[in-house]
Amino acid sequence: MTQQPVISCKNVWKVFGSKPEAYLKTMPEGHSYDEISADGYIAGVKDVSIEVSRGEMLVIMGLSGSGKSTLVRCFSRLHEITSGTIEIDGQDIMSLSEKELIELRRNKMGMVFQSFGLLPHRTVLENVAFPLEMRGQDKHTRRARALEVIKLVGLEGREEYFPRELSGGQQQRVGIARSLAIEPDIWFLDEPFSALDPLIRREMQDEFLRLQGLLGKTIVFITHDFDEALRLADRIAIMKDGAVEQCDTPDQIVLHPATEYVRKFTEEIDKARVITAKTLAIAETKGTGEAVSADATVKQLAKLLVHDTREVIPVTEDGIIIGGMNRTDGLTLLLEAD
Amino acid sequence: MNKFTTALATGVLALGPLAAFAEDSSDPIVIPIHNWSSQIVMSNVVGQIFEQMGNNVEYVTTDSQAVYESVRLGDVTMELEVWEGAFGASYRTALEKGGLHDAGDHNAVTREDWWYPMWTKDACPGLPSWEALNDCAALFATAETGDKGMYLDGPVDWLKHGQERVAALDMNFTVVNAGSAAALWAAIGAAEADKTPIVVFNWTPNFAEAVWPGEFVEFPTWVDGCDKDPAVGPNPDALYDCGNPAEGYLKKAAWDGMKEKWPAAYETLTKISFTNPQIAEMAKFVDIDEMEPEEAAEAWLGANADIWNPWLSK
Amino acid sequence: MLDVTKKTSDKIELTRHKMALILVAVAAVLMVLRYAGLLPEALFRLPEAMIPPFAIWLDTIFNFVKDDLGLLKLTRFLTGGLEALLDTTANLLFGKRRWPNLGPIPWTSIAAVAAVLGYYLGGWRLAVLAAGTFVWTALIGQWKIAMETMSVLVIAAPVAFVIGITLGILAWRNPWLDRALKPILSVLQTLPFFTYLLPAVIFFKVGPTAGAVATIIYAIPPMILMTTLGLQKVPEEVVEAGHMSGCSRWQLLCYVYIPSARQEILVGVNQVIMLCLAMVVLTAFIGMPGLGAKLLAMMGSFKLGRSFEIGVTIVLLAVTLDRMSKAWVVKQPAHFEKGTPWWKRHVMLLLAIAAFIFFVIVSQFIEVASTVGRKQNFSQGKELDNLIKGFLNIEVVKSTTYFLRAFVNVQILIPFRNFILSIPTPAVILLVAAFALWLGGRKQAVLAAMFFSLVALSGWWDRSMITLYSVISAVSIAMLIGLPLGIVASRTERWSRRILLVCDTAQTFPSFVYLIPAIMLFGITDIAVIFSILIFAMVPLTRYTIEGLRAVPHEMTEAADMAGATRMQKLWKVQLPLALPTMAVGFNQAIMFAFFMVIIAAFIGTQDLGQELQRTLAGTDLGKNFVLGICVSLMALTFDLTIMKWASDQKRALGLGE
Repeated sequence: MTQQPVISCKNVWKVFGSKPEAYLKTMPEGHSYDEISADGYIAGVKDVSIEVSRGEMLVIMGLSGSGKSTLVRCFSRLHEITSGTIEIDGQDIMSLSEKELIELRRNKMGMVFQSFGLLPHRTVLENVAFPLEMRGQDKHTRRARALEVIKLVGLEGREEYFPRELSGGQQQRVGIARSLAIEPDIWFLDEPFSALDPLIRREMQDEFLRLQGLLGKTIVFITHDFDEALRLADRIAIMKDGAVEQCDTPDQIVLHPATEYVRKFTEEIDKARVITAKTLAIAETKGTGEAVSADATVKQLAKLLVHDTREVIPVTEDGIIIGGMNRTDGLTLLLEAD
Repeated sequence: MNKFTTALATGVLALGPLAAFAEDSSDPIVIPIHNWSSQIVMSNVVGQIFEQMGNNVEYVTTDSQAVYESVRLGDVTMELEVWEGAFGASYRTALEKGGLHDAGDHNAVTREDWWYPMWTKDACPGLPSWEALNDCAALFATAETGDKGMYLDGPVDWLKHGQERVAALDMNFTVVNAGSAAALWAAIGAAEADKTPIVVFNWTPNFAEAVWPGEFVEFPTWVDGCDKDPAVGPNPDALYDCGNPAEGYLKKAAWDGMKEKWPAAYETLTKISFTNPQIAEMAKFVDIDEMEPEEAAEAWLGANADIWNPWLSK
Repeated sequence: MLDVTKKTSDKIELTRHKMALILVAVAAVLMVLRYAGLLPEALFRLPEAMIPPFAIWLDTIFNFVKDDLGLLKLTRFLTGGLEALLDTTANLLFGKRRWPNLGPIPWTSIAAVAAVLGYYLGGWRLAVLAAGTFVWTALIGQWKIAMETMSVLVIAAPVAFVIGITLGILAWRNPWLDRALKPILSVLQTLPFFTYLLPAVIFFKVGPTAGAVATIIYAIPPMILMTTLGLQKVPEEVVEAGHMSGCSRWQLLCYVYIPSARQEILVGVNQVIMLCLAMVVLTAFIGMPGLGAKLLAMMGSFKLGRSFEIGVTIVLLAVTLDRMSKAWVVKQPAHFEKGTPWWKRHVMLLLAIAAFIFFVIVSQFIEVASTVGRKQNFSQGKELDNLIKGFLNIEVVKSTTYFLRAFVNVQILIPFRNFILSIPTPAVILLVAAFALWLGGRKQAVLAAMFFSLVALSGWWDRSMITLYSVISAVSIAMLIGLPLGIVASRTERWSRRILLVCDTAQTFPSFVYLIPAIMLFGITDIAVIFSILIFAMVPLTRYTIEGLRAVPHEMTEAADMAGATRMQKLWKVQLPLALPTMAVGFNQAIMFAFFMVIIAAFIGTQDLGQELQRTLAGTDLGKNFVLGICVSLMALTFDLTIMKWASDQKRALGLGE
């Protein structure tokens, strides 16, 4: 890919404590998280290098306290990083002045928060129009735009409500609408659905995928829910103790966990739901007969795998056969799950 | 009310010629109000007289001791009741610092001393002599004072030297200081219910005379120097061995700048002079008849035009 | 690991308590020596010669600041501005002849607007309360004096609000300012109000301006605290949402922080209003006209009934303002459906304006609607007088008070007071330090010792001890009555509410109204002083006992029930221990109120700091006034620091959180 990554971070550290810069300079190479803690510091983000390309959805995964929220806040410079560089569209954001930073946020970034972060004294409309208001847009334009986004998230008719008059799911729709109001290029979502109950969560994920289908933004999405990550992600970064353990596509993570931690994490996962025909396809073999789609998961192909008699099933992507999938490989995965 | 309007009219008529000479400033004349009725009504009376003369008048409530500092600075224009016994010291201090001056005496005397309501005399018939009082000391005993009598003196800061007098005259009394004038009245009021004998600090002119008839205790007569020279008075070794002067002055004080700023009003102020009965009457309007001070002042002005009209003319 | 820390903390605890006992022992030795006549005089009381002339130093400093640095000129200049404001409201509310010369607004208009506002904020109940208050005020013949008070209040409260919120924001932004302000605020909150009054008079001219300034200063601290608290509590995500919406710093403050801290800020506003009202009455001592001045005048001429009526007016005003501002705190904006016409959205505003104009016009034709004349009011002063006097004359009342005087006063209070005065100064300091060490900790003990040493150095030791004696006696008696009352009331919801209402009312009743009945009941004695403090000290004790007990989680009492506890066992083993930290807060407040009230009780006649303070009001003794005020403040702070530390320690230990 020749295209420049939208977000690019190199060796980013975020250490909490008094005078973290000085500490980091004198800290011996390869100090572990616990050793840093013993020195009275907390490594929020520990030597992370990661890139996100245009239109990609990167899901950052980890248990609470693993540093995922901290990392995403470094991307938008809600946190000042302790060392390393972060570039947005090739621009080092640490070198921006306060004014330039505000400009960047006003035009390029949107963010959705776990507990919505809505302003309680403003109506839905006023909340959604808030970033536009801060940008200094006139009342008429911002009202028109806000109504447009409200409609997009399906809250039409609730414009005059106050946040406390809405359900959790509706409140998060307001949060989403607000973050989209300025038409950002980059969209940060910090565990947007974890405060919602499971049924609503599912509904919101669908809604989110619909929106993403319409908008095609560059997305950094945080979650502690692996299922959610698998449903949404182009790539997943798994974090532990501030560091990224592995960053790869979902099926690679499931098939080839890089570390023991990731392996444990993925153990409980129904691999058949993640691994696609593409992953199992072997380029050298082609197989015969009707082909299956490359992005179909093994689970989706379960019926076929059981009833078909072919040894090798061809896999097609964009109309081209990219290889053949061994039926037994598929069946093994399918059976392993239970 | 009608009477009052007539009075007003005469007043204004009388003023007609005067207005031509002296042009008073239109700034308000500030008259201080304290926390006893006669002074409040008197201030209103004088204020209404000034208003008739075409002046603006404003009343401010002030502390009766701190007021002299305010008069000196011109924050307050005058003080209508300077009591020799109670405020003499504050007044003299301010006088020495400069900024205010004596604007003449009222035709009234003030007296402050040990006092008892009439029912006390029934229990101790020898009164008002102080020796007789001392002989009945046990009548005034309370739970706290044992077999000694209790004398309720004014607040410590009034400096009435009750303690010293008890010592100097070797009286069988314990002195308790009330915290305020209100505390004195409350004590008398509580005693009134079943006519308990009581002896307290009191003064005249004062509303209390009207509510509770009573008399001052007669101590050895005041001689000049009684408070400075032990030799003076019956006890050769002690100060304060006489009663307080029975005829203290009651005067008016004015801010030095008043004469220039409100010449006509100032002229009137120097002429104003009330007598003891007049002051008592003013207090009675408020304290017994439950009038509001402004109303009491109107009533008094209405009824006494002949007294105050002369103060207006040249 | 947990176990280890617990053990070490136990050990520290042990040594702490041991050290406290050692301090007590040393104090006891000093006392024994004193009674045996062996203690050198210098160890009993600080010799006069060693007492630094603080008052003179302070006076020198004040005079330097006042005259040489020109502060007086500045404040007098400010006075001009403030006076203009006060004159404006004075004109509007009671027709003082000043710009804009429109007033006075007819009382019916004000009452009507109050009713509409009440309805808007809290429904018809509040509307009735608000309108009722103003109607009562007018009919009882106190409209003008009430408006004199209000005219200062409507200026003082907003000014205190603006200054308080500004300082609160600054303190929240600058930790150093916060650290610098904290101790100053603590001192300001414990400083007797007499100490606010004198500088106000000197710098801001006698009368309403000085009254307003004293009121403003008195009301600022809670506003600062609530602002800071509110801003700190704004959820992190809301702030981040603001950042991500591209707020500049200023926008973040105005559009995100302050609106999100609305509740706390409004609670601050409520406190500002209440403190302003309390103080505006007390400023009668420095010539503020209005309800307070009238009350003092009525008391000065022994009119109990009228004083009582004024007291009722003040309570009604306080309750109305309190309820309205509290309703405002909890009032949440409700939405209007799309397409609601403008007039419907602002129907309340329009209604208020209409009512206002209607009554202005009506009062042009009907005089009673404009001002209630003097002969038309319904004051029952004389009848009430007789009622009160009659009550005091009932045999039972008389014999009770006589018993209390003869027994409690002579047998308990006076000996207790003599005992306190007989303790050598260093022994008192040691005892107080031991108390602070036992309950608080090392830091509290050091501060306690330091504070009381300063009191000793001030030269007002005996008077301070008498003040302390009154406070301790009153709070002890208040506990004997207030705690059982609270415990009994807390058993049912209904009684809790009733007693809390009584508490509220008793507290808003202007403090010096209690003084006259106290004197009439008990004469000019210590017991009258303690009686008048008692009422105030009991309120927080009862209230926090009720609140503490009612806040005990249900599972705990249910668990106790299931364990077969009797009512008494449940109370002693479960409810009280859990409610104790909250009750301690009440205890602390009781002490603070007692320190406040003991100063006012100087009005009855005492020999404590309050009496000296009252004396300084009549003069220009700023230095002495401050030394006395600080003495009170230091003693109050000692208790405040220690008890609050204990309460928060206990809360943490019980896992109740802050």
